[in-house]
Amino acid sequence: MFESFLQATILVSVAAATIRIATPLLLAALGELVAERSGVYNMGLEGMMLMGAFIGYLSAHQSGSLWVGVAAAGLTGAAMAAVFAFMVITLKVEQIVTGLAVNLLGAGLSTYWLRAAFSDSGQTPVIPFFENVPIPVLSQLPVVGPILFDQKLLTYFAFLMVPAVWFLLFRTRYGLIIRCAGDNPKALDVKGVSVAAVQYAAVVFGGLMAGLGGAFLSVGSAARFVPDMTNGRGWLAIIIVIAGLWRPYAVLAATLVFSFLDALQLQIQGIGIAIPYQLLLMMPYVVAIIALMVRRSRANAPAMLGMPYSRE
Amino acid sequence: MTDFSIAEWRIERRREARPAARFIGLGAALAGAIIVCGMLFLAAGAEPLKAFASLAKGSFGSLRATGETLVKATPLIFTGLAACVAFRARIWNIGAEGQVFAGAMFAYWAQHNLGEFPALVQIPVVVMGGIAGGGLYAALAGLLKTRFSVDEVISTVMLNYIIVYVLSLLLLRGPWSEAGGFFEQTARVDRDATLPMLIAGTRLHMGFLLALAAAVLVHLILTRTPLGYEIRAAGSNLRALDVQGTNTRRLIIVVMLLSGALAGLAGVTEVYGVHYRLKAGAVAGYGYSGIIVAILGQLHPVGVVAAAILFGALLNGATLMQIETGVPSALIYAIQAILLLFFLAGWAMCNFRLRRTGRV
Repeated sequence: MFESFLQATILVSVAAATIRIATPLLLAALGELVAERSGVYNMGLEGMMLMGAFIGYLSAHQSGSLWVGVAAAGLTGAAMAAVFAFMVITLKVEQIVTGLAVNLLGAGLSTYWLRAAFSDSGQTPVIPFFENVPIPVLSQLPVVGPILFDQKLLTYFAFLMVPAVWFLLFRTRYGLIIRCAGDNPKALDVKGVSVAAVQYAAVVFGGLMAGLGGAFLSVGSAARFVPDMTNGRGWLAIIIVIAGLWRPYAVLAATLVFSFLDALQLQIQGIGIAIPYQLLLMMPYVVAIIALMVRRSRANAPAMLGMPYSRE
Repeated sequence: MTDFSIAEWRIERRREARPAARFIGLGAALAGAIIVCGMLFLAAGAEPLKAFASLAKGSFGSLRATGETLVKATPLIFTGLAACVAFRARIWNIGAEGQVFAGAMFAYWAQHNLGEFPALVQIPVVVMGGIAGGGLYAALAGLLKTRFSVDEVISTVMLNYIIVYVLSLLLLRGPWSEAGGFFEQTARVDRDATLPMLIAGTRLHMGFLLALAAAVLVHLILTRTPLGYEIRAAGSNLRALDVQGTNTRRLIIVVMLLSGALAGLAGVTEVYGVHYRLKAGAVAGYGYSGIIVAILGQLHPVGVVAAAILFGALLNGATLMQIETGVPSALIYAIQAILLLFFLAGWAMCNFRLRRTGRV
């Protein structure tokens, strides 16, 4: 009797953690999905998330307001994405190389700035973090309540963005234009729509979402910034988009698989099962490779993904 | 009708950049990068000129400092060459970081597990071990690409994360951890296996000469061998090479083996030439910097060596800069990325011109 109660509690806590951990991945992956649908591979996602996490933390610390931190993180991601877009869309620099440069910039600049800003204190100050906001009535439901409806506001936002992005991409004229930019940019050009403008908008949106994802890590849950705290989540988000076959709901499913692994890992460490923690921590990366080995179909990939469009 | 003549400016793409435009573009990129760095110095509360001066003094101010700069440049030459070989073929091996780990780990394993070696053979064993470890780990990503069509950018990045945990598993209360040691590292390696020093008063070791030799070798491979021809041809058009009858799958594996082997050697020089222990701190960070080195070096071995020495100087001078001006040495990684961004933009802009299309 008591044992089954304990098991149920553990299951609920793993499930709730899965939803919470999914937040930054989901935000970044949805942003990347829109960018890739417009034909641009944003390989700089990791750097944008990391910089968002740092600027979010710094602004929240300076202003005393968590929401200022979140807004600043989103703007940071968007600004970095605008630079990225200028390089790859206007100047047509190799997307992989530019993305890498953005990642290295995020890693270097955030570490440097952190040391420069908090050199006196020796240790980075802890800031308050977002509390859970239970939704009235719904959070009282058994099992489902604590899992789905007792989360942070950014988590609700991330999950609501799934249908929103789906609606944008597949039910609006603008979504059609975005998808067309990725599949057949020439057709857009002939119609007199600027392919570059559409791609800029999509990439900047992707950066904004990545910045918000980063903010969730620092301001949303850790209450501090640690160098390289994204730890590959930007790359996982890119993999999630591929594994999710460029479709919003499948992207959500793929996100949940990865965040479940992470939640499980935390739980196993928490109750002290004797598995070396390194094996648990490397799991998401191993699973990512396996996922790509299994999901080889690129049938859904935008036809012109990664290829810059020019008229000649 | 109003009577103005409106002059319109148009930006056009050129087929081939003129040398003068290239020069101006590069100069502008360098100036831009220096200005941004100056602003970062100011942000840290230091005088930019003073900071640049102590950066220079720390990197080339004395024989010892110069030697240390070349020590720091050594692994970057290897990882830069690794990226150079792969990128020339347009195979995006981002995995030098992990391949440096693999090279160091395999060398360590070979030295300790393949039996007792006489003193003279110890160095060749660890060098071969580094080549094998780096090469095989890169070839794994190559296989994933050719057999399972997993994009090499993503697989190499994942493998970079994975191997850090594998090393930690072996070091932290694992089979390789130092007996009674507190840190995540191995015991000191056998003296016979360490790379000999070159110049008294510096820490410059044989690895630097190996790196220069590797640069010459890569240059010869690229320019004088059938493999080099295939690499360059793959860089311009892989599909055409396929049609022509080259086994491009095999080529991808071979390029990854070569690229990874070069990166693996960086692991050997760091463990057996500098730190004398295997630990994550000894081998981390060179892979990603190597990619920047390769691109700044225009994917040419000579350029790679030059860029690696510049980056070695930055890394080395940063320590003195931090002591003298209080600017955190982490700045160097930001500077590297800023340099790369400005140079990429500079090169790209060389390919554009502003043309006036007058309209009456």
